[in-house]
This record gives sequence, C-alpha cells and structure tokens, in this order.
Amino acid sequence: MRWLKGLAVAGAVALAASACAGGQVRGADRTATPASTTTPGATQQATENASTFVYAPNLEVVTDWDPATSYSNEIMAMANIYEGLTRYNAQTQKPEPRLATEWTSADDGKEWTFKLREGVKFHTGATLTSQIAKQAIERTIKAGGGAAYIWGAVDKIETPDPLTLKFTLKYASPLDLIASSGYAAYIYDPAGVDKDGKKDGGTGPYTIDQWQKGKETELTLKAFEDYWGGWKPQQYKKIAFRVTPEINTAWQLLQSGEVTFVPRLNPQLFEKAATTPAVQTSKASSFQNLLVLFNTETLPLEVRQALQYAIDYDGLVAALKGAGVKASGLVPQGLLGHVPGREPRQDLAKAQELLERAGFGPDKPELVLDLTYAQGDEDQKLLVTLLSAALKKLNVTLRAKPMQWNAQWDQAKAKDPAKRQDVFVMYWYPDYPDPYSWFVNVFRSKETPDFNLSYLKDAEIDKMIDALPALTATDPAAAQASYAELQKKIIDERAAVAVPYVQTYQRALAAGVQGYVDNPAYPNVVFFYDLAPSP
Amino acid sequence: MSRPISPRSAPPEPGPPEQAPLRRTLPRVPDRFAVAGVVLLALITLAALLAPWLAPYPEDHLDPVNALRPPSAEHWLGTDEVGRDVLSRILYGAQTSLLIAAAVLGASSVVGVTLGVVAGYAGGWLRDVIMRITDVFLAFPALLLSVALAVVLHPSVATVIVAIAVTWWPWYTRLAASTAASVATRPYVDAARCLGVPAPLIVLRHVLPNSLTPVLVQLSLDAGGVILTAAALSYLGLGAQDPTAEWGLMVQLGQSRFTTNWWLAAFPGLAILLTAFACNVLGEGLRNALDPRRTVR
Repeated sequence: MRWLKGLAVAGAVALAASACAGGQVRGADRTATPASTTTPGATQQATENASTFVYAPNLEVVTDWDPATSYSNEIMAMANIYEGLTRYNAQTQKPEPRLATEWTSADDGKEWTFKLREGVKFHTGATLTSQIAKQAIERTIKAGGGAAYIWGAVDKIETPDPLTLKFTLKYASPLDLIASSGYAAYIYDPAGVDKDGKKDGGTGPYTIDQWQKGKETELTLKAFEDYWGGWKPQQYKKIAFRVTPEINTAWQLLQSGEVTFVPRLNPQLFEKAATTPAVQTSKASSFQNLLVLFNTETLPLEVRQALQYAIDYDGLVAALKGAGVKASGLVPQGLLGHVPGREPRQDLAKAQELLERAGFGPDKPELVLDLTYAQGDEDQKLLVTLLSAALKKLNVTLRAKPMQWNAQWDQAKAKDPAKRQDVFVMYWYPDYPDPYSWFVNVFRSKETPDFNLSYLKDAEIDKMIDALPALTATDPAAAQASYAELQKKIIDERAAVAVPYVQTYQRALAAGVQGYVDNPAYPNVVFFYDLAPSP
Repeated sequence: MSRPISPRSAPPEPGPPEQAPLRRTLPRVPDRFAVAGVVLLALITLAALLAPWLAPYPEDHLDPVNALRPPSAEHWLGTDEVGRDVLSRILYGAQTSLLIAAAVLGASSVVGVTLGVVAGYAGGWLRDVIMRITDVFLAFPALLLSVALAVVLHPSVATVIVAIAVTWWPWYTRLAASTAASVATRPYVDAARCLGVPAPLIVLRHVLPNSLTPVLVQLSLDAGGVILTAAALSYLGLGAQDPTAEWGLMVQLGQSRFTTNWWLAAFPGLAILLTAFACNVLGEGLRNALDPRRTVR
C-alpha cells in the first residue's frame, strides 16, 4: 500500500489542474488551541512552545529507516528529518531551494550544477559538503531500492568545490524537479543511517527522539537545535505519531485536544469537523489514486476483467461524498500521460458473461477470492462492501481482510505464490510530479515482488516503460502517446488493475494551528517546522 | 412473577425431581414474562421467515447516492454507508441469527446429550473418559475458545456455528450425564435390564427420554447466549462477512459512525437485545414450569 507514498506526485499535478494548490483552509482564524500550552498574555516572541504536535495516522508509520530505500508511509516522518536539494512548491508548481540555494542547467538539460547551502549541519554533527552529498546520492543509486530509479538519468557526479555538485546526465531530465522527490532524493550522512531508528543522518529540522515499533505512540521527534533555518520560540519542538486505526477514535482525540492532526476522516465526520469550533479543516485535490490490483498469476484474464466490470465506480464516488473523484485511467488529471474519457463503468451482465467463460458464475462452481486492504481506511471499506455485494450476485465470494500495511505487504510479497492474495487494494502517488512512478513501480515486472503486486510480467510492457524517461525529456508528445498505449495494455488488455477514484484530501487539525498548507507533492506530510500555535 | 420456594418443601422421594412428566408440571397460570418471551420470539421467527416479503428492499439492494440517510418514511430505520436499507438488513439478519442459534444448539445438544447419556448410563471408565474430555473443554472460557477457533478458520457463518458448537456441547454432556446417572438407578430401568432388554434399547427408550427435560430448559436459556456469542464473533470480524446481513456485523460496521449516524449500530443492537431477552425470559419461564420445586404465583 504505500498508501501515503503515491500521494505526493499526484498531489502536485492535481493542484495545478484545479487551482486549489495548498488547499482551502477553513477555520484557521479560530483561536482554540487544545494542544498548546501557550500562556495567555505572554508575547509571541517570548513564549516557548512546549506543546507536542500529535499526528494520528491510521496505519503504522515506519517500515524502512534507510533514506536510500524508504518508500512507504514513513515519508510523513522522513520528510521532516531529511531534506533534498530542492523542495516542490505546490503553489508555484516549481522546485524551490532547500539544501541547494541555486542551480543551473546546460547542454539542453544534460548537465546540472547545484550550489549547496553553507553551514548546514547533519544530525550526526558532520557539515554538509558536496562530497557527502555525492556519497549519499551514489549510495542511494547503488542500493537500487525504493525510488532509486529517479536518478536513472545520472551518468556521473562531480564535486568541483566543497559546495558545488555537478551532474552529467545520460539524457536530458528535469533534475531540479527530480531532486525534490519525496523519496530517494534525500541528502544524508551515510554514517547516521540506522535501520533500528535509534539515530538518523538527516539535515532536517527534526531528529528521531524515540521509535517504538508496534506501540500506539510509535514515533516521537524532537527539534534539531543546530538546524540551518534556526528556531523561533513558537515553533513546535516536539512531534508525536500516534497510530489510530479507528477514524472515530481519531476524531474524538482531535476534539479533546489529544491529537493535533488527522490526515483523513470519513465524509460525515469531515462535515462535522467543518462546524466544530476546536477544529479546522483543509481540502485539496491530489495525485493519489486507489489501485485495485488483480493477481495476474492466479486469476484468469476473464475473471480479472469481470472484476473490473463488477466494481460500482459511480456508486463508490457517490458514497465518498466529495472525498474522491472518478479516475480516468492510471494517471490523474494534471500529469503528463493523463487520458481523459476512459472512466470505467459497472456492467454486471458483462461481468457475468466473462465469469461464465472462465467456468464460474451463477449455477456454476463458486469462486472464492481473497482481498486485502488497509485497516481503518473507510474509503477502501466502501469499495469492499460494494464489490462484495455485487460479486455475491455472481456467485463469487470475496473474503476481504483489513490489515496493517506491513502485514498486508508481507503477505503480498510471500515467497510462496499460493500464500499471496487475489486482489490487493492500495493507494499510489508519484515520487515527484510525473507519472513514471506508477508504471515503473507497479507494473514493470520484477523477479521478487515489491510494489508490482499484480505480479504482471510482460516483456513488451517492460520495454515501453523503460523507454519512458528519455522519451519524456526529448519528445513529450510521443511520451503522452506511449503512456496512453500503456494504460490501454495494462488496464484493458491485461486487466491487471482497476482504478476507481482519485482522492481529494480532507484534513482535520486543531483550530489553534497556524500555517498548515497541503502539499500534495509530499502526500500526508505535515511540515511541522512551518507551523505554530496561534498566539 | 416466580420465585423458588424452599427446597425443603420438595417431595421427599428419591432421585431428582426434574423427571416429572411434562404434562403434570405445567403451571395453570402462565408466567406473564414467559408469555411475552414466547410472543416476542414468535414474532422474530416470523419476521425472519417472512423477511423476503416483509422487507421493504431486497437484501442486496445498494443505493450509494442515498447512503447514510437517517430514519424516514422511505427508510424506516435509515440507510447504511452504501445505501442499504437498515430495516431490510435487520429482517434478513434475523434469518442469520436464528439459523446460527438453531444450528449451534442442534449440533451441540445432539453431541452433548448422546455422550452424556452414554456416560451416565454406562458409568465406570467410559464415564470417566467422557467427563474428563468435557472438563478439558470447560476449562477454557467459552468465548475465548470460540475466538481462537474462529481465527484459525476463515470468517463465515459456518465458522461461527462450528466455533460456538465446539464450546457449547460439554455443558449438555454434563447435564445429561448427571440426569442419566440417576435415571439409570430407577426401578423401571432395573426391571428392563432384568427382562434382558439390550443396553442400547434401554438407553434409547428409557434413559434418554427421561433425561431430556433439564436439557430442554437449558437449550431455551442458551439460545440467547448463542445469539450474543455469534454477534460478538461477527463483531470481532471473525464471523459473518459483508454482504451477509448479520446483526453483530452490522453493529461493528456502524460503530465507527455512531456519533454521526447512530441508526447504523443502534437498531441492530436493539434487535440483538430483544432476541436475547426473549430467549432468556422464555427459558426462565420454561424452567419454572418444568421444575416442580418452583412455583408460579
């Protein structure tokens, strides 16, 4: 599920398309500050913020502490611990300076030179130099995990001086945009990387305080005193991630002030949140879509197609009541490769016909399918309810199991294919605002499964996917055509996936928090450093 | 109202008094609560049987556009998160709950009474073996054992039936064994034995029928418990699965929306409460009726 992961890219594009960059924040002028211990009457400058900002995700936070290979929900913590050369600004739709203060490109985008920020300290105590930055990127490329593919265009990295990083590329690529990726683009001190989460090698404003895998308060972060950006008294110095699978519990905790931020509520609670004095809400379109991946190794093509037809796409979007919009293909609107007019429709007669061709259906042997989805995700639950009801009429029993991400993912990656599920439900969002991530991660064949959880193995599709980065840089029109063709192959011909909807972000946070802006390029990430309780 | 009178006033004859024939012990004035229980249970059973005709909407009728509508003239008990009519689902859910109760009580009483009667009549090592096995089962808290079993099996209605039946039968074995043991010493059983009637026939013709009364009372008292346990298992996600209409499952699905859409959990919860209540008062009434040591005022 990488439910968070896929969010980032999708968000950036959708922002552009719907002009709701940053989202619409309501109730920010309210003054209740349940999570704050601010002393009334004290001046803002003099008041040290001793309160903890508590984030309430519905799933476990950390699956991988290595910034080179991390590729899942931990982005919500990692993006506050680590920094890249640039950060994508959803409002301007451009990368802006972070660890690099300026950059230039030459030779038609095949050569990039980044000037690094002076006086940046790693949490390990080391000082940022071009040498360490080079080591970090090369280590990430060598590890080859997670989103390391984003550096695919890099031919060599040079360090002409301690604060200059020069990239030579194999083919033209928007390296400033790539460097803003929420995954695999972090500049870190390799000496600080610790898989047990006891320390970290980042430069970001926060550092690991305590990680307790499996505990309710799984992770706490503390301010890094030597952060290059400095600290103001009112900024949050303590952050906690409190895993709260039940939406209703999260809502109650938010109301009582025990948590500060809930990334997603159900439509009814979100509506209620908009009129609750102690709470503010934020709404923004995203690049995060729901993928229903069909096991291409166990399910015949006809069954996969029947499942595509059995999903009540319109009903699902209606039941979401504003929390999502109907998807048209794999690539959300606003990104290169988006194909309008391919919204799917439910057709139970066709589904039955296809099932019967495969030897199933009413009056034939019962078909039992195992589906796994994210525990506590009510939107996914809606899909499951609608799909199981539709399939029951076709003599198909859906054994749906809500699971924590690690367990769901481990089962999907089981060495024994018989132990894997038939249908896998997860969200996806791009690593940087570009559609390549869906294809190279989810549909390119792999020896051992990672995120390609439809287990699709198709040499022709692989070849087309591999050609995409260069094509995008040299001939965007051809790239668009290639993306359209790929979606036809993956969705229509191979029936590896159904894409019901693109999420609309609906956040709820304590009314007293100032400065919250959704950045869909970093899905579900709250940049805590940018926030403060209202004075 | 009923209340037990002092045991000392029980007839001084030997042997347990529960074996008094049914007809002789039926009270002249029926217990009002028991009557209410019977009526309620009859209504619920009728509703379950007639669900396809009574329910305003089909069981699998989805209408996401009208999801989460509060109770209204169109949907008396409101609609759920995908627009299914809650009243219709409760009526169909009655089928599931009563089916589970009947299957569990049927299976566990057949197994339990058979073993119990054999143990009670045979005595000796056979009785010891059977009773020690039941002790092993009784050593585990019933719900815990059911949960453990349900976790191992795939969640479904059949799983619920198996998981509860496995924990339920030992009680009937115990009950039947103690009654059968006392029946086995009765003069008419001795007489049959002296006449050379084979043991299986004695058990079937004499011991079994005269050991059934307490089991019948216990069954009616247990029906509510089974329905509650089944609801608990489904509530824990180990029993019936969507889209099957089942009360416990409906409560579980509705609980996360309780503060905004209370009708999702409240009405199925009420259905569970009423059914369990009806079974209990009926069982209580039956016990009073069949127990000559108790009197009805």
